[in-house]
Amino acid sequence: MGDYSTNMYSPRAVSIVRTLPQISEHRLFQLKLEDGGTWDTFGHQPGQFIEVSLFGKGEAPISISSPPTRPDTLEICVRRTGKLTDALFELGKGSRLHIRGPYGKGFPLDRLKGNNLLLVAGGLGLAPLRSLLLYVLDRRDEFGDLILMYGTNSPDNVLFKYELLSFFDRDDIKYLYSVDRDEEGIWKQYVGVVTGLFDQATLSPDNTCAVLCGPPIMYRFVLEKLLNLGFSKDRIYMSLERMMKCGVGKCGHCAMGDKYCCTDGPVFNYAEIEHIKEAI
Amino acid sequence: MKTLAKKDLVDVLRYWTGHCTVMTPGRKSHDEIVFDEFDEATFTLDYRKPSLPPKSSCLPQSETIFQVDSGTYEPRISEAKVLLFGIRACDMTGILQSKSFMTADTDDVFYRARAENLATVVMACSGPQNETCFCTTTRSGPFSKQGFDLQFYDVGDSFLVEIGSDKGAVLASAKGFAEADDEAARKRVELFRHEAQGRIALLPEVSQAMERLERGGVSEELWDKFGSKCIVCGGCTYVCPTCTCFNVADRHSGNGGGERIRTWDACLYAGFTKEASGHNPRKTQGLRIKRRHEHKLLYYTDRDTHEGLCTCVGCGRCSDYCPVHIGTIEVVKAIAGEQS
Repeated sequence: MGDYSTNMYSPRAVSIVRTLPQISEHRLFQLKLEDGGTWDTFGHQPGQFIEVSLFGKGEAPISISSPPTRPDTLEICVRRTGKLTDALFELGKGSRLHIRGPYGKGFPLDRLKGNNLLLVAGGLGLAPLRSLLLYVLDRRDEFGDLILMYGTNSPDNVLFKYELLSFFDRDDIKYLYSVDRDEEGIWKQYVGVVTGLFDQATLSPDNTCAVLCGPPIMYRFVLEKLLNLGFSKDRIYMSLERMMKCGVGKCGHCAMGDKYCCTDGPVFNYAEIEHIKEAI
Repeated sequence: MKTLAKKDLVDVLRYWTGHCTVMTPGRKSHDEIVFDEFDEATFTLDYRKPSLPPKSSCLPQSETIFQVDSGTYEPRISEAKVLLFGIRACDMTGILQSKSFMTADTDDVFYRARAENLATVVMACSGPQNETCFCTTTRSGPFSKQGFDLQFYDVGDSFLVEIGSDKGAVLASAKGFAEADDEAARKRVELFRHEAQGRIALLPEVSQAMERLERGGVSEELWDKFGSKCIVCGGCTYVCPTCTCFNVADRHSGNGGGERIRTWDACLYAGFTKEASGHNPRKTQGLRIKRRHEHKLLYYTDRDTHEGLCTCVGCGRCSDYCPVHIGTIEVVKAIAGEQS
C-alpha cells in the first residue's frame, strides 16, 4: 500500500506580523512563518497564489503581493468581499491563520528577462502585479525599460499609494496613472480609462513584453490596444481570476476549455487562451 | 482463467467479508438495485445497471478530509478495504479514468488511499443493460480490458473468471474457485465477448459530435436551447462515473474545532464558477451545459482515457435520469444533427 504522508491539502500555520490598511475595504497582511524563518524556503515566484484558510470560513485563493527577493515577509493584499475575507479583517498582529501553496504558474521570468516591460494594472489587479514589479525593481539590471500603467476608478482607490508615489523619484521606471473619474477635481494625472495612457508612452512591440492584471473589461480594451500596436500574442501576459477552490487542478471550479487556471495559470500568454471563449 | 460454480458464490462472498468490506448489488425497497454491503437477504445476480456508479467508493458524496482541533488540521485518510463485486465494465473504466485524473500530476491522497485499498470484480455484460447503453462506442465495455482485479463471465451455471492483477489472484484463491480448462475457457470467453459486443448498438453520433466540437462547429444556439430546458438539478453529474468535481466546506463542532469536508459539486450550478467579486466567467446555463459535455467529449487527455474513446464511458445514466432529456445521447444527437 502507498505512502499517504504527503498531503497537498494540508495547510500550514502562519501568523500575521502587521496589517496595513490600504483603501476602503482593502488591507495588506504581512505574514510570517511559525518557526520565525524567512520565506526563502517557501519557493514562491511572482504571480503565484496561496490558499488561505480560516477554519469555519473555508479556503480562498489569494495572490501573493510580495516578491521572493524580499523574503522577510509574505504579503497578501485582500479585498473584503466575502465570508472568509470578513473574518480575515477581524484579525490583527499575532493572529494565526493557515495557508497552502505557493500555487500556479507565475509570470515567466525567464521569458521576461532582457525585455522591456509594460505592466498594466487595473484596480486590485495591482496586487499580483506588485510581486513582479518589486521583483524587477530589486533586480533592475536584468530587465530593460520598465513602464507601469495603473488605472483605478477614482483617486480614493489607489492601492499602495505611497509606494507608487516614491516611483516618481526614480528614473528607472516610468509610471503612468489614470483614474476613470475625478469628481472633486484633485487628480493631477490622466483622467480616463487606462488605455488613454498609451498616448504617453513610446512602446517597441518587438522587444517589449506586456503584463496585464485587472478586471475582464480592462483586458478587452488593453488587448485591442496592444494588438493594434503590433504586439505579438505570445508577448502579452495576463493573470486571470477564477474560483480556484483547491489550487491543485482537482476540484474543477477554475477549468476553462482545456486549461485549469490554478495549475496551467493563473498567468497565461494571450496565444494560449485566445481560443477559449470564456477565458476573458 | 478460473471457474466458479454459481452455487458457491455466496460462500465466496461470505469468505471475502472476513478480509474486507464487500459491496454487492442488492435488491432493496421499491425493487431498486443498490450497491451496498453484502447482505444475503437482498443480494441478487438479477440486476442490470445500478442507478448510481460506484464512484463514491473512491470519492464519497461527502467525506471528512480534515479533523480540525486547536488550529491543527489532521488529515483523515481512509484505511477501509473495500471490494466491489459485480460492477459493470463502463463503471470500471470510470474508476480507472478518475483515478488517473485524481492522482496524476498532483496527488489527491484522500482519493488515492481509497483507490489503492479498493478491489474490483467486474461482471461482464452479455448485452445492453437498457436502451441507453453505448459502451461499445466509447470503448469502455461490455467487458473490461484492464484495471480490474477479477472479471466474471456468466456462462450459465458457473462463471468463468479472468484474473487481472496480483490482488485478483489472491481473491481467486478462495475455496470454490477451480482452474478452468484454458483453451475451452478462452474460446467460451471469446464467444461471450463477441456476442455481447454485437448486441450493443453503436452510437455514431458520439464521434460525429466529437469531431464537430473539435472543429468548433457547434452553434451557441444549440447550447442555449439546452440551457433554457435545464432545471439545474446537477443530477447528470451525480450519476456520472467520471464526474469528480468537488466543493470543500468547514463544519464547526464548537471550541473552534470541527471538520473540513468535501462534497460532490456540479459544473451545472451557477455558483460553481462565481468569484468572490461577484464576477461569473461562465454566465449562462447554456455555457455550463457546454462545459460539461466538452469536458467529456473534447477536453480529455490520453493519460486519463486509458483505452476509452473519451471521458464519457457510455453508461447512459445521464440520459436515463435527466428529467428534461439533456443526457449525453440527446446532446450528441443534437450536435451531429445540426446543419453546419
